[in-house]
Amino acid sequence: MSGREVATDGHVVRAILAGDTERYGELVTKYRDRYARYASRMLGSADAAEDAVQDAFVRAYDQLAQCRDPDNFVGWFFLILRNRCFAERRRSKDVAPLEAAGAVAAAEKSDAPVEMAERRRALQHALLELTAEQREVFVLKHVEGLSYGEIAERLKTSVASLKMRMHRAYDRLREQLRGRA
Amino acid sequence: MTMSDFHPQVKQLLDGELSLADLPSALRAEGEEALRMLTAVDREPVTFPGLDTRVRAELRRRREAPGFWRRLRLRPWTLVPAFAAGAALALLLSRSVPTPQATTATVRFVLFAPDAQQVALAGTFNQWDTAATPLLRTGTPGVWAATLTLPAGQHQYAFVVDGARWIADPAAPAVDDGFGRQNSVLSL
Repeated sequence: MSGREVATDGHVVRAILAGDTERYGELVTKYRDRYARYASRMLGSADAAEDAVQDAFVRAYDQLAQCRDPDNFVGWFFLILRNRCFAERRRSKDVAPLEAAGAVAAAEKSDAPVEMAERRRALQHALLELTAEQREVFVLKHVEGLSYGEIAERLKTSVASLKMRMHRAYDRLREQLRGRA
Repeated sequence: MTMSDFHPQVKQLLDGELSLADLPSALRAEGEEALRMLTAVDREPVTFPGLDTRVRAELRRRREAPGFWRRLRLRPWTLVPAFAAGAALALLLSRSVPTPQATTATVRFVLFAPDAQQVALAGTFNQWDTAATPLLRTGTPGVWAATLTLPAGQHQYAFVVDGARWIADPAAPAVDDGFGRQNSVLSL
């Protein structure tokens, strides 16, 4: 252990607000990938996800003075990114979800067995047919591996309502996947 | 419940609260179908190695962007009719001295927000600092105001109510800020 104190997010946020704006880069480096997969699955496209994460960081910088708990910068940042993903989904809902789903599966799993690649593509496609709220709870639980309790804490909601949302999602996914079979 | 709905116990299986062995034999096949669905979940990590550079460049670009003040002839501003927007009613009253050579103008920003505890003005003229320009309560209940001297040119701004709610001035032209929010535009 070195004797140097490790700067917490709270220290960094307060330093930025005091004028040391270059230190924002520390937060970007630390958290740029943490929600990359969440955003990619929410939006069905890694490119759209990267834009969303970038925009969320810029917005978080602009609004940093409103971060009420600087030590939990990342929780606050997640909510900004989440809003951005929801807004993007609403905006692009009618654009081209099919192409987006195909792009993710093709880009990331080119070496996977064909059958699994096809099933992944089908599931990702079906996920994009869910509401953003349903898709989010599925992504957080089954992609990110969070428990209902952890998701409830992060989204400031109840486990019961999350389960209801998820159970509807299961039924809709089954319906979608059967329709494609 | 429709034909395609999973049985509630199968949903518990998907939630990880039951195992396949816990299901009655009549539900095993449905349970296996459900678990097969989860095996197709794509958990491949995603990384954005170039993001630091992109964010840094974007923040720098924005810091340097306000330098496009245009020297325009000032126009006297008049009271714009009040406009109700949910709980907040905003109106902009601006007065400026109409001298062609003037490069600054005095602008009074007024917001009717009866439920607000605090109101601030954030814009290109204060680097969107929500703490820099608070509005003060006026003698009229619910009405907040601030008077600023601004350089001639185009400014973008929004009201910030209680530190969190951003409200574009419905009585002024708006532009998309690129993040799904609207900024108001003031041309002097």
